[in-house]
Amino acid sequence: MTSLAEEIRGYVVAEFLDGEDTADLTADFDLITNGVVDSLGVVRIVSHLSRTYSIPVDDIPLVPDNFRSIGAMSAFVEDATKAAA
Amino acid sequence: MSLLRLLDVLAGHARRRPDQVALVRGEQLVTYRQLAGLAEDLAGALAGLGLDRRQPLCVPAHKTPATIALLIGAFQAGYAVLAPSPELGASARAALAAQARCSLVLTVDDHGVLDTSPVVADERAARGFDPVDPATAPLLLTTSGSTGTPKIVPIPDDAFERFADWAADRFGLTERDTLLSYAPLNFDLSLLDVWTALRLGARSVLVAQESSADARHLQELVTRHEVTFVQGVPMLHRLLTQDGAVHPGVRTVISTGDALPPTLLKQIGTAFPGAGFHNVFGCTETNDSFLHDIDPARAGEETPIGRPLPGVRALLLDDEGRILDGPGTGELLVTTPFQTRGYLERSRNEGVFVAAPDGGDEVFYRTGDLVSRDADGLYRLRGRTDFQVKVRGVRTNVQEVENVLAAHPDVAEAAVVAIPDAEAGYRLHAQVTRRPGTSLTSLRLRTHSAERLPRHAIPSSVLVGDVPLPRTSTGKPDRNLIKAARQKGNPS
Repeated sequence: MTSLAEEIRGYVVAEFLDGEDTADLTADFDLITNGVVDSLGVVRIVSHLSRTYSIPVDDIPLVPDNFRSIGAMSAFVEDATKAAA
Repeated sequence: MSLLRLLDVLAGHARRRPDQVALVRGEQLVTYRQLAGLAEDLAGALAGLGLDRRQPLCVPAHKTPATIALLIGAFQAGYAVLAPSPELGASARAALAAQARCSLVLTVDDHGVLDTSPVVADERAARGFDPVDPATAPLLLTTSGSTGTPKIVPIPDDAFERFADWAADRFGLTERDTLLSYAPLNFDLSLLDVWTALRLGARSVLVAQESSADARHLQELVTRHEVTFVQGVPMLHRLLTQDGAVHPGVRTVISTGDALPPTLLKQIGTAFPGAGFHNVFGCTETNDSFLHDIDPARAGEETPIGRPLPGVRALLLDDEGRILDGPGTGELLVTTPFQTRGYLERSRNEGVFVAAPDGGDEVFYRTGDLVSRDADGLYRLRGRTDFQVKVRGVRTNVQEVENVLAAHPDVAEAAVVAIPDAEAGYRLHAQVTRRPGTSLTSLRLRTHSAERLPRHAIPSSVLVGDVPLPRTSTGKPDRNLIKAARQKGNPS
């Protein structure tokens, strides 16, 4: 995993998994289908990513697929910060 | 006019007001002419399949105009439709489809292109399930079902008709109204905010599931489409009134599915300055049964469920099964003009749909709700007589979730508790002991749950460990202790 993905993984583990960090949490583990992140959880993630990576909230479409997995989130942040640079 | 004849009704709307918008979803506006046209095309395609009409079609209830057109087309072509939650796992959906003896699973994309996959007939799965009659009950909804296979509830066409007449009259709905449809299409709430709306020639604004927690988006929908009618669980009202939003165009606000906290009620009063407010109580089996008109300025600590609707009879039974007269608290038994004749699975009806305890000739539904009645005849919900709680407005049986977790081969024991939550009503928390030598993780247990449970019933926190669960003196898992430990760790 990239350091960005590691960072996001740390956030997910702390915020949504009570600190349980296991190898089962792969970059493509589906957090939404498996009930780790619900629709309110998506809203929390959006506000976290917006704050942490200085992405204006208006630039973050609330499309669940962007936040479905750690891989999807880091790809999204990478694109969004690249676009701004 | 009913669901069976809905296409004729739509065609009538289309002739008189062809460009009137029927359905809104995102950027997509579908007029009555387009909706009637698509439904007619789909009816033709379905009739051409030449399938046995005694076998319903299974249409996952995606909240799209094309899916709604597909249902209308199917009714027109003489099929009954089983409309399960689109979030239901594949195995649970297959089980439902087999129970109802469906012939096909059908989906339709935004261009009206059908996708079909056959249902494998399974007489063993269908044993004990009544045949479906498309001429009297064309729509089959399901209970929310916290276990993998929800109960199938046929909606009688004449019951829908009575309901739609009542709702249109009670809330003064006309073809000029715009209704916000927040609940999933497979919920009985859609009988009002989608199906009654279409029957009237009104507009229905469909909220996509993935936008259901997006306050700004929801507020924008209400403003942009000039919504006049809003019906939903308290969470919807919280989102709509967030950040001081005001919606002067809304005429009717209905809260349903869960208790309305007093602070939220005050907020609603301010946010909808032109609206009348109602608390509506009901369930999939009976549809709406109680109504209470609310004055937000004068509301007390708790909102009553109100009084029985016209044509509804409500009885309270004490622990011994005796009918309570006057004030008191007991289990609510109710009969409504809108109710189902029973679950499709005959054995499920025993002791649930019962003969009138006072000798009347109606069939009563035992709600499992503990309800009190005061001296003025006003009813209030006190809780459940069983293990059910509401998670985001959806009735969920904690014990059934526990059984699903316990069925995982690596689980030695599992306990699930419901923890009160300001946002969700309740959240489920699971504490699990894994079998020695296994390396079970909460993630694997979640994947196991996701295959067998609807998403709201997957516990939002899962604690997996090697130590045995704490026990009460009688040797049962100490759920109170598990609950207290979790609440102490998370003082939210």
